[in-house]
Amino acid sequence: MASNGGGSSTPSASSPDGRPSSPLPVTNSSPPQSTRRTGGRRRRGSASPYASSPSLGGFETPPHPSRRTPSGAGAGAARQQRQNWTGRFPPTPSTPMSTDDIPPSSEAGDDETDGIGAGIDTVPVFVWGTNISVQDVNAAILRFLRHFRDPRDAGRVDPVMDEGKYMRAIHRILELEGAETLDVDAHDVFDHDPDLYSKMVRYPLEVLAIFDIVLMELVGRFEPFFEKHIQTRIYNLKSSICLRNLNPSDIERMVSIKGMIIRCSSVIPELKEAVFRCLVCGFYSDPVMVDRGRVTEPHICQKEQCKATNSMTLVHNRCRFADKQIIKLQETPDEIPEGGTPHTVSVLMHDKLVDAGKPGDRVEITGIYRAMSIRVGPTQRTVKSIFKTYIDCLHIKKTDKSRLHVEDTMDIDSSDANKSTEEDFLNDKVEKLKELSKLPDIYDRLTRSLAPNIWELDDVKRGLLCQLFGGNPLRLPSGASFRGDINILLVGDPGTSKSQLLQYMHKLSPRGIYTSGRGSSAVGLTAYVTKDPETGETVLESGALVLSDKGVCCIDEFDKMSDNARSMLHEVMEQQTVSIAKAGIIASLNARTSVLACANPTESRYNPRLSVIDNIHLAPTLLSRFDLIYLILDKADEQTDRRLAKHIVSLHFENPNLEELEVLDLPTLVAYISYARKYIQPQLSDEAAEELTRGYVEMRKRGNSPGSRKKVITATARQIESLIRLSEALARMRFSEVVEVRDVVEAFRLLEVAMQQSATDHATGTIDMDLIMTGISASERQRRENLVAATRNLIMEKMQLGGPSMRMSELLEEMRKQSSMEILLHDLRGALGTLMTEGAVVIQGDNVKRV
Amino acid sequence: MVGPQYDLVGNPLGAVRSTFERTAAAAAAESGERDPVAAFRGKDWGACELFRSFLFEEDGLDKVPVLNASNLGLIKPNTLVRYRGMVQDMLGNEYYIGAFKDGSTWRTNKFTDFSPFSMPHPCDSHLWERHLFHCVPAPGQNSWTLDSSPGPDVRRMSGCLATELREKRKRDGDNDDMDVSENGHEESSSQCKKPKEEDVHVSSSSTEMAEGVSEMNGGDHHIPGSSFSCLVKVYDMPDSQVKLNDVIEFIGVYTFDPELAAPSDNPDDIMLDLIEDVTVQLPPSKVPRLHCLVWRKLSPHDFISRPPVVEPSPSILKGIRQSLLSHLTMVLGNDELAAQCLLLHLLSRLRNRVDVVTVGRLSLNFIGFNRESASIFGNQLCSLIQKLVPYSQAIPMSIEYLNTATLQPRKDNKSGRLVTGVLQLPQGSHLTFDETFLQTGSLTSKGVENTMLLKNLMESQKVDYDFEYYKLDMATDVQLLTLSEGKSNILPSDLVVPFRPSSVPTISAGSEELESWRWYLATVRSLPQSTEPETYQIIQDEMVNAMRDDRSLGCSELSRWLTMAQITASSFGEKSLSLEHWQMVKELERLRKLRLQ
Repeated sequence: MASNGGGSSTPSASSPDGRPSSPLPVTNSSPPQSTRRTGGRRRRGSASPYASSPSLGGFETPPHPSRRTPSGAGAGAARQQRQNWTGRFPPTPSTPMSTDDIPPSSEAGDDETDGIGAGIDTVPVFVWGTNISVQDVNAAILRFLRHFRDPRDAGRVDPVMDEGKYMRAIHRILELEGAETLDVDAHDVFDHDPDLYSKMVRYPLEVLAIFDIVLMELVGRFEPFFEKHIQTRIYNLKSSICLRNLNPSDIERMVSIKGMIIRCSSVIPELKEAVFRCLVCGFYSDPVMVDRGRVTEPHICQKEQCKATNSMTLVHNRCRFADKQIIKLQETPDEIPEGGTPHTVSVLMHDKLVDAGKPGDRVEITGIYRAMSIRVGPTQRTVKSIFKTYIDCLHIKKTDKSRLHVEDTMDIDSSDANKSTEEDFLNDKVEKLKELSKLPDIYDRLTRSLAPNIWELDDVKRGLLCQLFGGNPLRLPSGASFRGDINILLVGDPGTSKSQLLQYMHKLSPRGIYTSGRGSSAVGLTAYVTKDPETGETVLESGALVLSDKGVCCIDEFDKMSDNARSMLHEVMEQQTVSIAKAGIIASLNARTSVLACANPTESRYNPRLSVIDNIHLAPTLLSRFDLIYLILDKADEQTDRRLAKHIVSLHFENPNLEELEVLDLPTLVAYISYARKYIQPQLSDEAAEELTRGYVEMRKRGNSPGSRKKVITATARQIESLIRLSEALARMRFSEVVEVRDVVEAFRLLEVAMQQSATDHATGTIDMDLIMTGISASERQRRENLVAATRNLIMEKMQLGGPSMRMSELLEEMRKQSSMEILLHDLRGALGTLMTEGAVVIQGDNVKRV
Repeated sequence: MVGPQYDLVGNPLGAVRSTFERTAAAAAAESGERDPVAAFRGKDWGACELFRSFLFEEDGLDKVPVLNASNLGLIKPNTLVRYRGMVQDMLGNEYYIGAFKDGSTWRTNKFTDFSPFSMPHPCDSHLWERHLFHCVPAPGQNSWTLDSSPGPDVRRMSGCLATELREKRKRDGDNDDMDVSENGHEESSSQCKKPKEEDVHVSSSSTEMAEGVSEMNGGDHHIPGSSFSCLVKVYDMPDSQVKLNDVIEFIGVYTFDPELAAPSDNPDDIMLDLIEDVTVQLPPSKVPRLHCLVWRKLSPHDFISRPPVVEPSPSILKGIRQSLLSHLTMVLGNDELAAQCLLLHLLSRLRNRVDVVTVGRLSLNFIGFNRESASIFGNQLCSLIQKLVPYSQAIPMSIEYLNTATLQPRKDNKSGRLVTGVLQLPQGSHLTFDETFLQTGSLTSKGVENTMLLKNLMESQKVDYDFEYYKLDMATDVQLLTLSEGKSNILPSDLVVPFRPSSVPTISAGSEELESWRWYLATVRSLPQSTEPETYQIIQDEMVNAMRDDRSLGCSELSRWLTMAQITASSFGEKSLSLEHWQMVKELERLRKLRLQ
């Protein structure tokens, strides 16, 4: 007995032994050239001990004479395989296959399914055990291939398009001579012939074998000498089944399952045709086909002169092998019920499908579910009553990895290429989302859905929503680009659920990265260069900001971050890139992230008497890069307290009396956001632009209110950019392609709410962008100027040029006597510092000297 | 229905088959079809019913021996056994020929691995499925739980003795670590062997840890043979009825098939390696198979051997509460405040989970311990907790422990199995962390990961299971007690109580008292809560007032107060919360805050 690639198997023909062999049996009979010249040859060299044999030159064998026609072999093998399943065994071993073009059949005296009536008639040929009439199916497939027209092409009147979709595909294959597979969309089959579809799903082995035969016949008519075998690959079944729900009734059916590849075996060469050589005379036998994983070694040398017995030996490098691989598919996390572990299933891949997926890929597999009995031991003939199951893969499709399908809006030109992923968004789902978007209260509903267990903070949530939806990035022909991402800073007292908001955002956002400022270094956030310890090559590794490109980077405890790390953010937040110039690598990486940071006030509790800058201790330059800065303060307010109490009580008692607000669940919210981000690119309408200009001018005017002498900047160009982004995001929430006036109004309101909290000058009560831009409010600046002038006057008065020095405390007392203002030593020191730079005084320790 | 009286304990399969054949024959006669058994797929034809009535209505349960490591070799295969264990891993489904036609009779293979009749080759048959669960004794199960429902002594049951097996089993049983599978795998391909060696490594390191733990607990923490596992095959179960980490009592047929134990020595068959299911790694010579007929989830109540017959009335509960509280006070060196907090902590359970917020948990942090006091009070406390709750573990937190321990359960995709971690725990487990072992030092990446896991467990009662390509959150309900010098930052507890003992504990409790306390804890924890809407309003007003008085109160504090008030109410046996309990909690908080200053 020769060794065989498939494994051990007993010769019993009727054993319930579903050998794992090709799902499409016709591969057995594909002409030797194709496989042999490609993969088979390579492998043969390494696998065979005869690789360096001197007779290597003689191995260019012509096609062997006993090659069967593809059709006969295909159908025959199909029938054989059919017998191997589900433990329903034919009463008699099958008859040898016929070699003509009519696929074999058995007399339809069968008990299964509803084929009883049909079985009486002997004229139609039936596939054993089914009600499938071969001729009918044959004709149906031919009809489908010939006449199926894509409804999407219906509108076109191109004469070239007159041919059906698959006829074109076949022609294309013939022209290219490369492809050996014809991908058939199961939806097309269903649309054309639901009956054929159901037969195909129910009896995939038989129908697919016939499919291949029809296909080859068709090809033969166009190009009689086309030698390659074309396989049919079905994909996109009407319904895909959950891995967990596979059950015995699915066996031998075509199924479509989604999952994640967790493991791949190495490529296994599987013997397809064996060639033997006589050890006595060197005679090469005709290739022997592998029959269900087994080859029969000839006992006697067939050469007339030799006739030696038991002299035949397998010649590895003249055998023909096919690639085979087994992968393990596991349920995706979202399909696992609570408290369960993921199920796995083995998937057998053949030929071209080998290495089509890597571990970690999410794929959708169309294949045939099979069961195989477990043999107890090689010596034992008994078959255990237990079966192993696997899927013979027909088609593999990689599905999107990320939760949110965000193709960035910046890559506008890629929108055409993404037609296939568009299909991922099931149409009805999109319809549902669109319906949602038409609700009048969608804005409020979205706000409620965002972190529903965190009560209050509605305006903050609205801002965060804007951040999730994002504005439109703009790239001018000149190369200048404006970011569309909205950056938000939350500053607030401890225990105001800032971190929870962050966690929630991180969950919602595509490629959300969550870091804590305390534990982040500059390189950890941006990118760093390392030397690979093995190769010595320099490698660029991305940090959190680069990793969250096109997503939201949540940075908790922003205030506790080192200054060095924070300074790296300047570039990211405006230019949206990370530049690296180190160790021979000069690179600029995209970091198109929205930054959501949260910080505690410096004195852990917000001090209302100090400015925001003093409270958070952040560089004003960095602060100005945040579009919205929210102060989340724990204010003593009976109303909020009551609501908090109510919230807690309802959490504990599951009080049914509490109003159930309509909220979107997390998956819907995610889908909603991702759809909006991907497909909605709102543009400013003229009215909106006008409103924007008007509002902006008004904001700036507010600073020049009559009565106040000083000029207060209440808005800067950065704010107008923020406003545009915010209003675009607001339009996106409604799935609106146009930014309307109301969006702009709401954007102004949001900005104002945020500014009122953060940029209000506590001394005057007006909004003052200087606070954010420079850290000093206009009124404060005014006060300082006054103080400097007063100090100068005092010094001019009291001290003489080059005279004795004066103690600072004395000076302070003098000042206090003169001025009505309350002056602190600290203020005085500042004023004196200014004077010193002017060259008016010299400060030595505590002494001041006029020069 | 009472059929021919089979020996349901000694020959359960006989009963299964006879009921099947009878029902199948009846069905065939009735319908006249060729396929009468098709309807039995995924259904019971009366066999399970028969057993259920025998076990629970005719008191047959006591006649069924309990399968454990000590009597594994003594029980005869194909007899009825009981097994209590935690579902450690779900191994998916298995297809088997459920029914086949032998001549004119239909026969079944249900509840067995092997057909007692040889199957004729071409025959009508039906493929059915069953679920596979890998079960282990619940981690941290305390020894008192074993006494609760002892089966008959197997050694005295001559009928069940399997002398011929005993010798073999003894040899095999020497090293019965569940992850080690020497017999089945010596000859298997090296590709397959590698991960196994890792397994051994991991599991041995965790057992080392466990040993360290048990030393601290005075040795009797881990019940003997705790690494003894069982492969349970469950039939006809709707999906997701059993969850991972559930503790379940399975009653079913114990099978052992010497033929299955034979190693499969076809190493050149590479492709089978991947199709091979994971059961291969659980050789039947080490891991017994159990074909489950009847199963039930176990609650803490089921471990109490002599439950008082009385209904839990408030007066009885109050009495037991008082005795338990005074005992806790004694153990805690006359620190009554700490004892009250401990009582609340022991009675806490996760009641609700809203998004990321968990309601009902009350983790406790006793501060003010040092190495010496932890060794005195900590050990007393741990041994008391061991005697009170079904599952408990004490973990000495040290840098070394954090850096080396495998806390996170991890899916090994090569072997297809879930490699357990310390944090794979049944619901309602109790964990004590002794942080006095913690010194300054640096954490490795594993250490950081472990601390993150612990923190996550503390804050949201969830454990991330590592599935290599993604993490899966598993909801848990674990009571966490931390003993530390200062407030623990690694394990941020809900309630921080400075511990002020004034005497050294010297008492121990009588077994009867322990019984009543266990019953009390189990009963109070399962007591339903229903509060009148009027109380809501009062509580809300109370909260608003409290917030007015103290601006530093936040959502978490108030939420904790309410939790404590609810537990206080239950601890008195009251079904609804009243203002009185709220006031008690406020007083408790006041005293606690005084100590904190």
